[in-house]
Amino acid sequence: MPSDRIVERRRVFQQYKADVKERGKPFYPFAMFHDTVMSLVVVAVITGLAIVWKYSTPGDHIGTDPGWLGKLYDDPADPGTINFVPRPDWYFYFLFYLLRIFKWPNSVIIGTIGLPTVLLVLLLLVPFIDIRSERRLLRRPVAIVASVLVVVSMGVLTYKGATAKESLGSELVAKVPGWAKAANFTANKQAVGGAHLFAVSGCLNCHTYQGTGGGFAGAPNLTAEGAKNKGVQFQIDHLKCPACVNPGSPMPSFAGLGEANLKKLASFLEASKGTK
Amino acid sequence: MATRRMTRSEQLQQTIMYPVDWLEERSGLVGGLRYFLFRKVPGDINWFQTLGSATLTAFIVQALTGVILAMYYKPDPNSAYDSIQHITNDVFAGWLVRGMHRWGASVFIILMFMHMGRVFLFGAYKYPRELNWIIGVLLLASGLGEGFTGYLLPWDQTAYWATVVGININGTAPFLGPFLAQFLQGGTYINADTLSRFYAIHMLMIPGAIAALIGLHLYLVIRLGVTSPPWSKEAAGTGPLNGASPNGRATRTGLSRFRRGR
Repeated sequence: MPSDRIVERRRVFQQYKADVKERGKPFYPFAMFHDTVMSLVVVAVITGLAIVWKYSTPGDHIGTDPGWLGKLYDDPADPGTINFVPRPDWYFYFLFYLLRIFKWPNSVIIGTIGLPTVLLVLLLLVPFIDIRSERRLLRRPVAIVASVLVVVSMGVLTYKGATAKESLGSELVAKVPGWAKAANFTANKQAVGGAHLFAVSGCLNCHTYQGTGGGFAGAPNLTAEGAKNKGVQFQIDHLKCPACVNPGSPMPSFAGLGEANLKKLASFLEASKGTK
Repeated sequence: MATRRMTRSEQLQQTIMYPVDWLEERSGLVGGLRYFLFRKVPGDINWFQTLGSATLTAFIVQALTGVILAMYYKPDPNSAYDSIQHITNDVFAGWLVRGMHRWGASVFIILMFMHMGRVFLFGAYKYPRELNWIIGVLLLASGLGEGFTGYLLPWDQTAYWATVVGININGTAPFLGPFLAQFLQGGTYINADTLSRFYAIHMLMIPGAIAALIGLHLYLVIRLGVTSPPWSKEAAGTGPLNGASPNGRATRTGLSRFRRGR
């Protein structure tokens, strides 16, 4: 025996079908006209964006200089020189920025996997959470609050993700002497060389060092990494395959830098025993 | 004389209609198309309800430009970047096709979110349309998957490193994470096979799934009908209009029982 609610909603749907049959209008030409106009607008907008992307690129419109809508293409991918900014397309910025909020190792998984999974499941379950037949917005306060919260938080996260600053390697190199002095490894040539590599290899897009850097994906602060006395060999192994030494680490492999460079970086990390 | 002309025009009509009738007799497709075009929709639907077909248009743009790009693109780490440059700078209107594909992706994603917002605010996911909401969420997830896999294909620095970190983040998921990362990369590390793997996922696997899901989505839209805007005084589901019901459908739905109970 179906409940009153089920009987009622079945009745309303039968009524809907009867009403549409009686006083609806045919899809063609009425609704189809609206759909066609809207589709033409969509195609025009897409074409317009493509034209602006190309013709706002400076010079002869073929280089890697950014136009109003960004670069036509970046420099070729090079797994060896690791001066990179791990930045996704704009519609992933909200996820991207979540990675700056949650910190490694305890809660980063909440930002990377936990929250998005929970949101996806909640989204799938919407029709089973909201089972009332009321459709008028003013009588659905929970739906209003939920949608405002979602739109605002996604908007803020997207904006923060879009404006999040990544430091350029060239600016960071200027800080190397200061780092060496503060951490007291100026005399250690290997470590100073490693500090240069550290500055230009994109490490600070995620890690922080003496107050500089991204704090992205929960990457730890490395100012006092050497104080843990893990040893040069450990650091080299970790740089080659972070997830092998530290299971679940999202850090990419830096094996492409080569043995000599890895040794410099490792010496730098071991020499970084914090500032006094 | 009049009779002969009639016969002739009838013959002409019969000749013109012959292929249509032939097709109809063997497939029923003509009747199906006629049903699709002339089915009734509520008289009060509005412009917000064109967002779904706009999203479909954006997908069709992606499919068409994607096919053209696939004719020139080479999913191999040694030549991918060069083929993108070739498309952008040498191929006739290649910059336009690539630009439309690149920006069409953003438009597609925005339209999916707007369409979903419209359905949510109209309460159009409610009985009996729950299943279509679920299919829509799967379409949204697949669309984002297209965005993720397509981003690597230009094989430039931005693409490469964003994807390295993206895969590593997938890899941090409990249980499934390492398998997912390995599946995406085609190995323990990002390697020469990763690019062709992303290409296959981007242009065969996910688009196939999206096309099938769109088919189901549209089937359910046609079967269950389009909702009236919830604020409409003449919303379908209200019953015959006789001016006696200023509150529209509300007096006849759950709310009426709420009122009676009070």
